[in-house]
Amino acid sequence: MPPIQVSAAPQDGDLVAMTLRGDPEAFATLVERYDRAVYHLAYRTLRDVEDARDATQEAFFKAFRSLRTFRAGSKFSTWIFAITYHACCDRLNRRKRYANEELPERADTAPGPEQQVIAFDDRARLRAAIDALPEKYRTVITLYHLQGRQYEEIANVLDLPMGTVKTHLFRAKEQLRRLLGETEVRET
Amino acid sequence: MSMHDDDDHGRPDELDRALLALPLEEPPAGLRAAILMATAYRPAPAFSFWEVSFMGVLGAVGVWLLVLLALGGGQLFLHTLATIGAWAMQALSNWTVVVWLAAGGATALWLTLFTGSQPIALAANRSAGRDGR
Repeated sequence: MPPIQVSAAPQDGDLVAMTLRGDPEAFATLVERYDRAVYHLAYRTLRDVEDARDATQEAFFKAFRSLRTFRAGSKFSTWIFAITYHACCDRLNRRKRYANEELPERADTAPGPEQQVIAFDDRARLRAAIDALPEKYRTVITLYHLQGRQYEEIANVLDLPMGTVKTHLFRAKEQLRRLLGETEVRET
Repeated sequence: MSMHDDDDHGRPDELDRALLALPLEEPPAGLRAAILMATAYRPAPAFSFWEVSFMGVLGAVGVWLLVLLALGGGQLFLHTLATIGAWAMQALSNWTVVVWLAAGGATALWLTLFTGSQPIALAANRSAGRDGR
């Protein structure tokens, strides 16, 4: 009896090639695979639902437009995360410029980082602690979460040397432990 | 949840495990549809770039002729048409001009054949890593 052929899900690189050949479903599959992760990165970096939504859309739009520049053999996730990260950086820079000019009406009225850390359960506490980190540590931790322990991929996304990524990650975790420790003390 | 385990030896500690187990943020409703409508499922434009350009040129010429008609009546209009016709005949009787026109047309056709079937006509030549900046 011949072995049953199981059609494996197409690789990201194949989907990129199919999109370039004119198959819109292929790009739709890529969006399905990564929209949540991309939104997560944008939201964790920007801490604003609307900004994160816009940055996610912008990232996919830019990726679609410049799909031909995607290098065969590289990881689509790293590429789309890099585009997202840069879209977020643009937004953060704009936000900073705007904040310097006048007090924005849509200034963050949410509780400050320290108050956010006082949360109910472990996940919420961890999320709040991540939000309380400085931006560079927050992004490294978020990418670590998304990409696992692949430091090289994180370094590629952030365009930083791997040593810097490891240092940022180490310090981010230190701060996280401290923040989470503080809340433990507060709760007891 | 205690987060004080040491991970200096590269082993995942409790904080690592908690980070990796953290669920992703839920995107707002309609985000995926919005992305797809702006990219893969974006409706094709009713006219191509070349068609719009051609219609634009025709429109401009039409407006110009109407202005001529309005300013000088039929005589100015006919005189202009005759001048243009004479100029065109003179140009087309020169074989060098004809060769250049043919070369330009062939190149345009060749470019259309090679790029017209691609779904993304506006691919930027920026490097992938720096695209989002």
